[in-house]
Amino acid sequence: MKQHPLCSDCEDKITPMDLPIPSGLKKEWSVCESRRQFLGRFGKVLGWASLATLFGEASFRHLAFASGANPQAGLGENSLGLPHFAPKAKRAIYLFMSGAPPQVDLFDYKPNLAVQFDKDMPASVRGNQQLTGMTAGQARFPVAPAHWPFSQHGQTGTWISDLLPYTARMVDDLTFIKSTNTDAINHEPAIMLMNTGNMSAGKPCLGAWLAYGLGSMNDNLPTFVVLQTKTNPKENNQPVSSRLWSSGFLSSEFSGVGLRSVGDPVLYLQDPSGVDRETRRKMLDAVEEINRQTLAEVGDPETNSRIAQYEMAFRMQSSVPELTDLSKEPESTWELYGPEAKEPGTFAYNCLLVRRMAERGVRFTQIYKRGWDVHDNVVGMLPVLCQETDRGCYALVTDLKRRGLLDDTLVIWAGEFGRTVYSQGGLSQENYGRDHHPRCFTTWMTGAGVRPGNTYGETDDYSYNVVKDPVHVRDFNATILHCLGIDHNKFTYEFQGLHQKLTSPVPAFVVQGILA
Amino acid sequence: MSLAAKVAGAAGDALRTARLIPRVWIGAVCAGISIALLPLFFPLDGKPHADWLQFVGRFHPLLVHLPIGLIVLLPLLEFAATRRQSLRDAAGFVLQFALVTCVASILFGLLLAYGSGEIGTTVTRHMRGGIVLAIELLLCLAVRRSYLEGKQSRSYFILVTAVLITLAWTAHHGGSLTHGSNYLTRYMPPTLKRFLAPSAVSSHPNSFFARHIYPVLDTKCVACHGTNKEQGGLRLDSYESLMAGGKDGIVIAPRNPDGSLLLQKVTLPPTDPHFMPAEGRTPLTRDEIARIRAWVLAGAPPDLASVPGIFIAEDHDEAPTPVGDYSALMGEIRQMQQSQGAKLVPVSANASDGLILRTTDVAGSFDDAQLAKFQRFAPFIVEAELGRTAVTDASIETLSQFKNLRALHLEGTAVNGRTLAKLSSLSQLTYLNLSRTRVTSDAVAPLKSTPNLRHLYLFNTAAEPTSTADSGVRSTQ
Repeated sequence: MKQHPLCSDCEDKITPMDLPIPSGLKKEWSVCESRRQFLGRFGKVLGWASLATLFGEASFRHLAFASGANPQAGLGENSLGLPHFAPKAKRAIYLFMSGAPPQVDLFDYKPNLAVQFDKDMPASVRGNQQLTGMTAGQARFPVAPAHWPFSQHGQTGTWISDLLPYTARMVDDLTFIKSTNTDAINHEPAIMLMNTGNMSAGKPCLGAWLAYGLGSMNDNLPTFVVLQTKTNPKENNQPVSSRLWSSGFLSSEFSGVGLRSVGDPVLYLQDPSGVDRETRRKMLDAVEEINRQTLAEVGDPETNSRIAQYEMAFRMQSSVPELTDLSKEPESTWELYGPEAKEPGTFAYNCLLVRRMAERGVRFTQIYKRGWDVHDNVVGMLPVLCQETDRGCYALVTDLKRRGLLDDTLVIWAGEFGRTVYSQGGLSQENYGRDHHPRCFTTWMTGAGVRPGNTYGETDDYSYNVVKDPVHVRDFNATILHCLGIDHNKFTYEFQGLHQKLTSPVPAFVVQGILA
Repeated sequence: MSLAAKVAGAAGDALRTARLIPRVWIGAVCAGISIALLPLFFPLDGKPHADWLQFVGRFHPLLVHLPIGLIVLLPLLEFAATRRQSLRDAAGFVLQFALVTCVASILFGLLLAYGSGEIGTTVTRHMRGGIVLAIELLLCLAVRRSYLEGKQSRSYFILVTAVLITLAWTAHHGGSLTHGSNYLTRYMPPTLKRFLAPSAVSSHPNSFFARHIYPVLDTKCVACHGTNKEQGGLRLDSYESLMAGGKDGIVIAPRNPDGSLLLQKVTLPPTDPHFMPAEGRTPLTRDEIARIRAWVLAGAPPDLASVPGIFIAEDHDEAPTPVGDYSALMGEIRQMQQSQGAKLVPVSANASDGLILRTTDVAGSFDDAQLAKFQRFAPFIVEAELGRTAVTDASIETLSQFKNLRALHLEGTAVNGRTLAKLSSLSQLTYLNLSRTRVTSDAVAPLKSTPNLRHLYLFNTAAEPTSTADSGVRSTQ
């Protein structure tokens, strides 16, 4: 029988002792073996052993325990000593507006632009910035003022586009960051940067970092859940991929669990007919036993993740149906979220689900709403997008607030970049376009840790460059971590010779001006 | 130096002819005078001199530890010599060697100070201490002869003690020069600190300068621009000295941040030779620079409490009372975390932030009896997440024993609020969630006397106010 190459007790290993040679020769061999061989090998072993103690142990240890199975849990919530300080927020909800909402039309009020209609944007405003292939060839860059009027709302008198009547009702609760800026001008790198702090794939996203760092608050539900909103064929839907909620180099048990927007939220959660809970349990126990043997033999931390995932799936068989059962929601819920919330997969439905998950101790939930990539049809698409999302956002924040959840939940609303003030393609009184714009965009946060009724940062007259208090994506993420009790500089994971962090190796700063 | 030697030599001749004083004393006094006169030849004028002086001088910190060690060894040897005669010679040698290295250290130290142009009270004190130390060692050497003959043992003892005290004093000043004067007090326990090191800013303790500017200067600048050293003739350890500026004029130009030398220097590229803080010390952070800039823009006032455009989160203002140390119970807590069921979870890595009682996993089955089991952890629990559990009004009694409770979640429970009044004794309680319970307005009325309750949630209850969905006993948020 052929031996497996990894097999240690190889049968056909032949030593000189087994050979038909004179016994004197064998004796001489054994002397050599004991002296030279021994000393030679001893030296090497000693060298390796000391090397291993010098840096081996430290760099390999995290591999074995990265899966959260560290038995030497410290004083903090877990072995990582997190949270570093008492957090304001226990959980976070991230409403991700994929495709980049146009800040000029929604939040960044520029009343002086109206008279600039169809005038060329001064070249000095753009400077030497490189544009995307979609508008780089344009002969001129005509200014397109917002098509919809703005009005002031709340005690703070914040200007908001009339496209967002619901958001307008809660401006006093929100912190607007008008100076958010990013490095990337195209969707994929920008959305990666926003979510993982790095433009290239392979890095863990915010949710995975939180799941790894803060752990679960409810053993029956995933720590990090991703909800996708049903796509609307009327919109320009840029794809989002699962690497946005991937755990990167962290153990895969920290990656986001996606709930489906149509049909069963999680596939195959029902036991097949003929399999009752007890049979399922027995089967899982047996599988776990086998997995444990594999773990002991191979030591791959991913085996640990697999065991944990099986267990999680088993518990989710009862917890997810309870989560998605909206029949006990009071009438006031539907009044708040609107009738759309009854239809699975809509933004409003997802917002309601997010609130239910917040109540049940899910650490981090992220809703992806695609379609904001309005390019050459702002007037056609933007009202649809606003109508789809505006009420849901308001309902979620209001619902969290009235139920007392906003005191320990941070809500974040952001896209991956902004859109240009100049029109992409033709500009007319009826319609215009807007291209990608990384230099400034508006985001908002509310809830635990941030100051309500606050506007931070300023852009120039063309909503093109930040003129005051810039907030880079790194600073944005550092601030989120701060609200959750984490010092972004101390929260690292050793990988590829770097102390990897969410905010990348480039320095990042917590935005003190938006903290409560 | 030859002049001093001549003078000393002449004086020595005169004394020798007088034959009143033994030779060794004459030598000691001459050498002592020469050492004491050393600073005259290298006056510390605050100007940097030739680079090679500094290069040699920088070996001072290396050399200086040799006499320190030897001097500490001296009394030990002398004491041991009373038992073992052979150590007597050793003690003598150590004393001589200590003197030689001490004088060498003084020379190197002078070269360092003279070469780098460092001045300040600490520099002067350190220098004088070194000289006094050398003279004392000389005297020791002189007296030791008689000591060995069995005479003057008392004066020798006094001298050695004086040497040790001078050594400690001088070494302390030397340490302050290298590590900064707050090196010892920085991490001192607060009680001790209040006693030993009163705060330097006193006139306007609540001003923006005292709270947000001075601490920056103190940690990042004062090591070189303070009492110890006055690099560039600039001191930054008080409002007055900051505004007075240094050799290059004023460093803060009120209302003109771009024209303020201090801001210019800290915002240079770090590779620039004029970048401050110099010599690889920790640079100012962006926030700190923004703070100084806004303060300068506001006219750099000594007394203004806040500065427009700068909002600094004052997390210390409402810092909750720290709870006791629960480390002793950590074994049990950890065991709980690993099993299914209710858990105690530390709020943060600081034990004094307390514990959260978390029941999410077992919400439906967590009842009054189970809560009662947590009573012994009560002093450490700051938040009880009892939402959607099976606890009833009976638990209110238990919870009123949780003296450090700040947040209490009872939403969706069977509590109807008959006993809520008991909670008003919880002085730390700021958050109470009674949403979706059967409480009535009458039941929650007694909560008005809870001193710190700021967030009371009554959503979906009979007590819910009609106007707004959430309501505070006083105010929310």
